[in-house]
Amino acid sequence: MSAAVETDGLGKSYGSTVALEGISFSVQSGEVLGVLGPNGAGKTTAIRILTTILEPSRGSFTVAGVQHSRASEIRRLVGVLPESAGYPAKQSGEEYLRYFARLFGHSRASARAVAARLLEQVGLADRGQSLIGSYSRGMRQRLGIARALVNDPQVIFLDEPTLGLDPAGQRQVLGLVRGITAERGATVLLSTHLLAEVEEVCSRVMILNRGRLAAEGTVADIARRAAAPRSARLRVAAEHVARAREVLANAGIERVDSADAQLGSLVALLNGTGSTTGMNDGLRALADAHVPVLAFELEGARLSDAFLAMTEEA
Amino acid sequence: MFAATLVAACAALASSGLAVAAQPSGVSVALEPLRIHTELGRNVLVHATFRNNGPAATGSLIAHLNVLSLRSGVEVDPEDWSTHRTRYLGTLPTGGSQTITWKVHAINTGKIALYVAVIPQAGLSSRPATGRTVQLVVAGRRTLNSGGILPLALGIPALLGLMSGGIQVALRRR
Amino acid sequence: MELAVPTPPTRRARGWAIVGEQELRDLWLGGRGMLLGVAFSLLLSIIAYLTATNQALNFLEQREAVNLTLQVAIAVGSLLALLAAADAVSGERERSTLESLLLAPVSRLGITSGKLIAALSLWAAAFVITVPYVWFLGRGVGLVGKAVLLGLVVGTLLAVFLASVGMLISVFASSNRVSLSVSLFLLLAIFTPTQLPSSAQKGWAGEFLLRVNPLTAGEHYVGKIVVNDHSWSEDASWLISPLVAAAVFFFLAAFVGARYMQLGRRASE
Repeated sequence: MSAAVETDGLGKSYGSTVALEGISFSVQSGEVLGVLGPNGAGKTTAIRILTTILEPSRGSFTVAGVQHSRASEIRRLVGVLPESAGYPAKQSGEEYLRYFARLFGHSRASARAVAARLLEQVGLADRGQSLIGSYSRGMRQRLGIARALVNDPQVIFLDEPTLGLDPAGQRQVLGLVRGITAERGATVLLSTHLLAEVEEVCSRVMILNRGRLAAEGTVADIARRAAAPRSARLRVAAEHVARAREVLANAGIERVDSADAQLGSLVALLNGTGSTTGMNDGLRALADAHVPVLAFELEGARLSDAFLAMTEEA
Repeated sequence: MFAATLVAACAALASSGLAVAAQPSGVSVALEPLRIHTELGRNVLVHATFRNNGPAATGSLIAHLNVLSLRSGVEVDPEDWSTHRTRYLGTLPTGGSQTITWKVHAINTGKIALYVAVIPQAGLSSRPATGRTVQLVVAGRRTLNSGGILPLALGIPALLGLMSGGIQVALRRR
Repeated sequence: MELAVPTPPTRRARGWAIVGEQELRDLWLGGRGMLLGVAFSLLLSIIAYLTATNQALNFLEQREAVNLTLQVAIAVGSLLALLAAADAVSGERERSTLESLLLAPVSRLGITSGKLIAALSLWAAAFVITVPYVWFLGRGVGLVGKAVLLGLVVGTLLAVFLASVGMLISVFASSNRVSLSVSLFLLLAIFTPTQLPSSAQKGWAGEFLLRVNPLTAGEHYVGKIVVNDHSWSEDASWLISPLVAAAVFFFLAAFVGARYMQLGRRASE
């Protein structure tokens, strides 16, 4: 299966400032790639290069198999929701979509049909004739997604699609993104700050930091690679706390702290490999020592931990 | 006898429609028509024929059209009445002639006099040669009918305003 | 391996036509253009009313009134075209709508051309609004046809020139405020020679300035024909600078402006 997006040593500089350096990755058709990174990491720069808004200073890339030198062909094949995109307040949503449908080659009649279909798909059918100036932020984002789909793109770039939305709005937009990938089988590159979104929607993740590729892979791969420390939160009867500490220490769990004010709550710090073997040994030891475990929860090794670890280190 | 014949000949010529004045320089200026009736704003043509009646060719000549009002108190700016009033004729051989035409716009009403003066381009001390004046009678004409200005002055902004308002209402109804 | 590039649905209209049509809709159905038209017509109405009710108006002053109407139409129409063009790219940039437009498969030349068409529509509207006023003022002096045609020719040249200048400024300006300010300043600078004392305008340097400046040259040409009843060819040399300015700046705006149209100096995070 050919890569939908492939980059090789992609770089962008503004004078002496390096915005991107040596970015090489590939995204297979149908994948949803999460693009993570702190502010200034180069996420939007990367997306703008791949969508032909900016020219790279170094390297090369292909999108949907088309070389970067053929920018106008790439633009026909991609759909983009730019970060903080603006919308003309005096146009209706339907008129806006019709305009872009026509720019992408549709006739007037065809553009009308495309606009109606997309408004339906993003849940704006009843507000299609209203002026965009009257839309909420969430509605504008949905309109932006609709615009990104107007040409039935093979690759879709969504730059911070949930920015500024309340949780309900975020859920709506993520639902749309899931629907896009499920129904169209398109490849999606999703740039976001919300790690929970990435964990929920993306099959793979790419972390950028200060213009460089810090990590790439599945969520689990990245968490493992980051050697993020894990911990376990457990609760025992108040009178068994001292005994539980002793048993866990003997089982090789070096550090056991009290957790919050609730009596009997303990936090056991596990090793950094992400393996739960040590905790299994500890639980078995507690059982053998007849120390009842009233509650247990494994924590850590989340993407957020990996993200922080990778971006703080640099 | 010769003098009497000459005087009689001049008198005969003067009474004819064609006005000729003999000039010491030998150049004569004949204008036609001598009387023009027109209306305010119209254009008329005045033709001037310059003839060299002298024994030798002239030097380069300059002809200039002048315009003045026969009624006191009426300011006439000749530049408004005719452009290129000064014309450079070149030389005229003995017996030769040249005709120049001026287009004159009737800018004011009333009785206006036009005459043409000719001087040599080199000899500034020469007396200009002139012909008879042309009398231009300009009748008034109502060129601007102020009736109907209000409908126009109010109607167009009102129409555009209505169109603008209609569009805004239609947009707001969405 | 290259994935198949899907052929778009039948292309019914070129990019510049689609952009131009949408810009025209935004300008005129959005209300801005109509309001400007109303304001402009009020100005002409005042001029026409004062002229028409002046019983002492002589023939020449009536021609001058027609000339004034034409000059106002050309000046205002060109100014509006300039301001619309000055907002064309920098305004989109500021409203964050430029990126979406650049992502569409329409050439940058198509974008600048379409926007220039919309800007020039303001001149076209100003001209159409002017016609009935010129007819009213000029019918008694036999000037209507000549004045209308003259206004169309000279006004169009000047509107193309100024709209193109505005578009160029808009492409390179760092903000919309800078674009509009520079455009207005330039317009003032171009109009300044008309305020020179007449003695200064008559010398060779003064005349050169007037001839080289497309606005003053066009104004001079219109005045000579309308007021002084010159023929079209008599002062034709005064049309050289408006013609050259319109052609050169249109080329610059359409092609050079398209080449350098970007999101911003630093279109990155």
